Amino acid sequence: MAPVLLGTVPFGFVAGVAAVAAGMSPAQGIALSVFSFSGIAQLVASQLIAVHSPAIVTVAAAFVVSLRFLMYSAAIAPHLAHLDRRWRALLSFLMTDQSFASAIARFSQPGPGAGRHWHFLGSALTLYVSWQASVVIGVVAGASVPASWSLDFAVVLTFIALLVPAVRTRADLAAAIIAGGISLMAAGLPYRLALVVASIGGIAVGMAIEARRRR
Amino acid sequence: MSTWLAIAGVSLSTFLLRASFIVFVDPHRFPHWFRQALTFVPPSVLAAIVVPGLVMANGTLDLSASNPRLIAGLVAIVATFHVRNATAAIATGMGTLWLLQWLFARLA
Repeated sequence: MAPVLLGTVPFGFVAGVAAVAAGMSPAQGIALSVFSFSGIAQLVASQLIAVHSPAIVTVAAAFVVSLRFLMYSAAIAPHLAHLDRRWRALLSFLMTDQSFASAIARFSQPGPGAGRHWHFLGSALTLYVSWQASVVIGVVAGASVPASWSLDFAVVLTFIALLVPAVRTRADLAAAIIAGGISLMAAGLPYRLALVVASIGGIAVGMAIEARRRR
Repeated sequence: MSTWLAIAGVSLSTFLLRASFIVFVDPHRFPHWFRQALTFVPPSVLAAIVVPGLVMANGTLDLSASNPRLIAGLVAIVATFHVRNATAAIATGMGTLWLLQWLFARLA
C-alpha cells in the first residue's frame, strides 16, 4: 500500500492545484474530486474548464480518458458477481487504476475467495481518503509551490508505472507506440482531441496485429 | 453553472464506466472483438498521456538529449521494467529530473 500512496500524494496535490488554476472555486475543485475520484479525469476536466469549453465537450473528453475503466470493470466483474448490488456499486465507485491492479493480482491467486472484497474495500478506502486529503492540500496551498519543483512530472511518472506493466504482448507494445506517435502528430487539435484520436489508433493497431497473429 | 454541470457530467460518466460490467451487464454478452478491443485501451490511453508528457512538456516537440523530462522518463521506464512498482518510477524519475535540472542550470 505504501508505494501506491507515495504516488497518490503528489498526484492528488497536482490535481488540486490544476482545479484552482483552471478557475474553479475551492468547493468545485473538491466536489470534482470527491465525486469523480479519478486523477486523469480531474486533470483533463480542469484543462478544458480552464479554456471555457462547453460542459458537453469537457464531459466527452473525461469519458474517453476513462474508457479504460470499462476494461477494468469487465476483468473484475466475475470476481464480484457473488456480492449484492450495493457492494458492487460501492466497489465500482472506488475502483482506480491502482486498486484494480492490486485487486486483480489478489483475485487471481488460488485459494478461498471469501472475504477478498473486504481487502479490496480496505485498500480502496485508504486510497480514497489519502487522495482527497492530497487534493484538498493542493486546492488550498497550490499557488505557493515553486514551479521549479516540477511536481507535475510526478503525474507522468505515475502513468509510466501503470503503462509498463500494461504492455505484456507485442500487440500491446505496438498499440502503445502508435498511440504515443499519433498523440504527438495530433497535438495541435483542440479540446484534447489528440488523446482520443491517439487512443483509437492504438486500439485499432493492437487489434489488427492480434487478428493477423491468429490467422 | 456550466462548471457545475461539467463536474456532474464527469462524475456520472466515470461512475457509469466503472460500474458498467460490475453492476449492470455481463461482459460475456458482448462479442469477442469488443472485449479484445478493451484490452488495448490501457496501453493506448496511457501511452497517449505519457509520450507528450515526456517530449512535449512546453508545447513544442523536444527529442534532444538536453530534454530532462525525456531522460528522466526513460530512466523511470527502465526502473519500472525491473522493479514493478510506482515508488521506483517516482523516485528514479523525480531524482533524475532534479539532478539534470540542477546540472543544466550550472552548465548554462
